Amino acid sequence: MKIRVISIPVQDQEKALQFYTEKLDFVKKVDVPLSESNRWLIVVSREEQEGVEILLEPAPNHFEPAKIYRKALFDAGIPWTQFHTDNVQLEYERLINLGVEFSVKPTEMGTVKIAVFDDTCGNNIQIVEML
Amino acid sequence: MTPYLIEITRIKDICYANKGQINTVIGTRHYIDNHFDKDLSLDFLSNVRFTSKFHLLRLFKKYYGQTLRQYLIDKRIEQSKILLVRGTSVTDTCFEIGFESPSSFSTLFKSRVGLTPTEFQKKSNFHKA
Repeated sequence: MKIRVISIPVQDQEKALQFYTEKLDFVKKVDVPLSESNRWLIVVSREEQEGVEILLEPAPNHFEPAKIYRKALFDAGIPWTQFHTDNVQLEYERLINLGVEFSVKPTEMGTVKIAVFDDTCGNNIQIVEML
Repeated sequence: MTPYLIEITRIKDICYANKGQINTVIGTRHYIDNHFDKDLSLDFLSNVRFTSKFHLLRLFKKYYGQTLRQYLIDKRIEQSKILLVRGTSVTDTCFEIGFESPSSFSTLFKSRVGLTPTEFQKKSNFHKA
């Protein structure tokens, strides 16, 4: 068994695609129309296009318990997904200049440095640099 | 302050209060990153950081969650992939990343990557083409 795809639930797929490609500089790899307005939408890191894929999945907005759970995580500032970077400070400055909002500024945590930003689609995302 | 920020501050105070230990393991990791192609023994690494080898082993595992040996092997395998994709031969790759025998390198590579170095190189050439 291999780890190939992880899902990030997003409130609006088109808005998420813009954020993940235009702000985070990820690359759209697969875009398959599914039922109604849903798509099988995969993005990958530009630096590692054969690496793990991210499925920008429509959040189950119609399912109340999931909606409450996601909002509670978001409001508490808890990131459920994290991406690796070689330099958190540089990435933080680059994203701040693009208007991305951070709830945790670059912070050293022992042997790593972290920061947390809002992906504008209902998720806190943590970026991590190994020191 | 969000609950997450409160929690990471709490964890930082509990787990990462000893700056000296953290500097030792970070320094060791950087040394491995810059010298992974050399013969790096535990005795040598502990001498570089002026600490006992068993203490260094414990600290590295405590802060990075893997042993020094695991980390060194991961680093070498990661670098070997870069060299193989560039077209370096399996034998040259083996010696450039600090392994002594192509057969032990191939066995280890296969156990970590799921392909032999030759298969990995062919596959990456296919993707490039």
